[in-house]
Amino acid sequence: MDEKRSALFTIIVITSVIAVFGVADLIQRDRLFSETENRVLAGRPEFTLDAFLREGYAQKYEAYLSDQFVSRDKWITIKTYMDLLLQEKEVGGVYLGSDGYLIERHLPEEYSHVQEAKKIALLEKLVWEWDAGVMLVPTADNILSDKLPKYAPYYDQKQFLEQVAQHVGPEHYVDVYSVLREHAGEEIYYRTDHHWTSLGAGYGYDAWAQYTGRRGGRYTAEDMELVAEDFLGTLQRKVNLNMAGDDIYYFPETLKRPLKVTYDLKKEAETCYEASHLDTKNKYGFFLDDNHAFVEIETESHNHKSLFIIKDSYANCFVPLLIPHYEKIYVLDLRYFRGRLFEFMEEHEPKQGMDVLVLYNCIHFLEEFSYVE
Amino acid sequence: MVFSSVVFLFRFLPLFFLLYYLVPERMKNVILFLGSLIFYAWGEPVYVLLMLFSTVVDYVHGRLLERLRGKRAARLVVLSSVLINLAVLCFFKYADFLIQSVNAVFGTKLPLFGLGLPIGISFYTFQTMSYTIDVYRGQAKMQRNLLDFGVYVTMFPQLIAGPIVKYRDVEESLHHRKITIFDVSEGLKRFCAGLGKKVLLANNIGELWAYVSGLDPRGMSMLTAWLGILGFGFQIYFDFSGYSDMAIGLGRMLGFRFPENFNYPYIASSVTEFWRRWHISLGSWFREYVYFPLGGNRKGLPRQLFNILVVWMLTGIWHGAGWNFLLWGLWFAFALMLEKAFLGNLLAWLPRGIGIVYTLLVAVTGWVLFALETPAGIWGYTKAMTGVSVSLVDGQGLYLGRQYLILFLVAAVASTPLPHKFTEYLRKSRTGLHMALYRFGEKFIPAAMLLLSIAGIVDASYNPFLYFRF
Repeated sequence: MDEKRSALFTIIVITSVIAVFGVADLIQRDRLFSETENRVLAGRPEFTLDAFLREGYAQKYEAYLSDQFVSRDKWITIKTYMDLLLQEKEVGGVYLGSDGYLIERHLPEEYSHVQEAKKIALLEKLVWEWDAGVMLVPTADNILSDKLPKYAPYYDQKQFLEQVAQHVGPEHYVDVYSVLREHAGEEIYYRTDHHWTSLGAGYGYDAWAQYTGRRGGRYTAEDMELVAEDFLGTLQRKVNLNMAGDDIYYFPETLKRPLKVTYDLKKEAETCYEASHLDTKNKYGFFLDDNHAFVEIETESHNHKSLFIIKDSYANCFVPLLIPHYEKIYVLDLRYFRGRLFEFMEEHEPKQGMDVLVLYNCIHFLEEFSYVE
Repeated sequence: MVFSSVVFLFRFLPLFFLLYYLVPERMKNVILFLGSLIFYAWGEPVYVLLMLFSTVVDYVHGRLLERLRGKRAARLVVLSSVLINLAVLCFFKYADFLIQSVNAVFGTKLPLFGLGLPIGISFYTFQTMSYTIDVYRGQAKMQRNLLDFGVYVTMFPQLIAGPIVKYRDVEESLHHRKITIFDVSEGLKRFCAGLGKKVLLANNIGELWAYVSGLDPRGMSMLTAWLGILGFGFQIYFDFSGYSDMAIGLGRMLGFRFPENFNYPYIASSVTEFWRRWHISLGSWFREYVYFPLGGNRKGLPRQLFNILVVWMLTGIWHGAGWNFLLWGLWFAFALMLEKAFLGNLLAWLPRGIGIVYTLLVAVTGWVLFALETPAGIWGYTKAMTGVSVSLVDGQGLYLGRQYLILFLVAAVASTPLPHKFTEYLRKSRTGLHMALYRFGEKFIPAAMLLLSIAGIVDASYNPFLYFRF
């Protein structure tokens, strides 16, 4: 009798797992979008005989069930903690570094010599045509390498940057790598996000200043002002672990002069910071109002100097630092630009010419830099 | 439908068993048959007809065999059954492979059929062949009831990934089975254990192999190569034996006792023993329907070696239509022939540990042939395993080793009988504390494994089905 009761209890315990979540799943309503995963979730596919026989209805339905499964986010968190317990140090392409740093993983085998050579060739064309400066920022894994898990492999951006420097020549190459490396002990990258911080960009400015023959040290840690304290960036969303948020700082000096900022030829603003983003998950959007195809910044410094920046999101917190030096700054994000680049640049070039700067992080540069002349 | 999916765990499984337990006994086979068809048609909406065709063909052959019992014509009938089954299997599984091989050898450009392989075809054709052959030999009775026979062929637990259940193993249960509360509780526990092996162990360590197999072996250190293939060895063991556990557990919940399919293969101390512990139902199928009819070991050593060669070439090619699978079979045939000739006696004389290491070496190097499909890939990987490609150890290998250390340890312990022995010790010791521990563990450990597996399935970043080639 005792054995029987125990067996019955076993059945109840195990089946209740299925029953509880099965019923909860049936009751629960579908979601359109997952904020934690930052993607649209699969919806219920329509059943037709044709869909079932020929169009993979079953797979679509399974994707739907799994995407809409009750408290999906919590299950993913459980899975992540389980991974941590078993494999430690790496979750979904993100290294769990020391000092609470999440560091995006870029494996050496992901970037071939062919790809490197292709991107450098494309860059050279731009450099020779426009006498452009090249500012490629290494990602956190190359600078904070002592914070990576032991033996963690990473794509060596130093050797890539050396190639770039060699091809474009020192007169076009801004050496951000060495400056950042010098300050590797400071808060130059976010812990929960893949971007560099305002302080990192401040050191980037020093490298740029040195390259253009200006004095550096204009933006230091003491000059920064805090605007947000609970920034959980893209990397935190990838690993979905409980973490303390990052602080977001900016340099108020950049606000001293009146500005006119035009986003995508229509939306106008008087500052290059957009505070409304600080209330959302994507707080880095504070800088330059997140991503736009084309941004024009007009300043009050009537020095007739113009700058044309071709960039990725790393530039968003860097561009404001250049405001004191230019009357006009054009910021172009090639990911959203469909026209002919050189034509477009010529349209904006004033009679006396303009400076051109290419600003990417190394990885985005290798993965995304491309244009049609 | 695969077991490790939301649709199976939260839709099919509860609905099916609710119906199955509620209906009276004479209706249970109807529910089981319909349920199995839905289960199969979910993934193979067209090929379900092929399975039904196969069912009817062997049913008819069975009846003919009974009618012609003792007559010479019975031979022709069993031959016809085997030929039809093999023809179906060959057409869907091997036709394109043969055409490609002919094209490669003769430079011809014969067109391919391009048909997908019907899931589980290698399992159910082998099952139905066992039926007609056993009826012919008088080892099983003819099945008069088409529904009962249909249940045998299509039964969903073992349909897509084994074990290969011989007809006579379940002959009685097809007509009459009693399901006790212990069958249900033991079956549930077994299912959870299998699910855990598949989702928690196989999928996780499989990510190591997925990563390493994507690397260029020319730049791979010896350490990385060995970690990768060891990872694959654990992946396929836990995946495959996990599926078998789930099948056996579900079968038990239905009132069937399926044969065991794995018995700790990685503690075998010879390759001969390995194959008595690995995919047992396939090995015993080939032994009974190929090896023994060929004469087995009763016609002298040369003939026995030849028989081994034949059986293991077939075993190899059964796992997939590719030259690498044939090579894989030959690799084992070679080891087995050596063992029959002299190595077996030597191993028996040596300490068991040496035999285990030797067997693991043969099995793990075998996995290279199994897991990599091109000659260049196999050659490159083997070279990396000897350490001549780059180096013995590099940062990448050390990182992977560190990252997967805990998982390797868990997997290693889980591939031995130790966990089972420990629970048996608790169960049998009968002291109050041990018993309480056992009673608590047997409920909550499977439930916890189920919960964690659900997390793994819902996250579903990596949940492959490895037997699409079988």
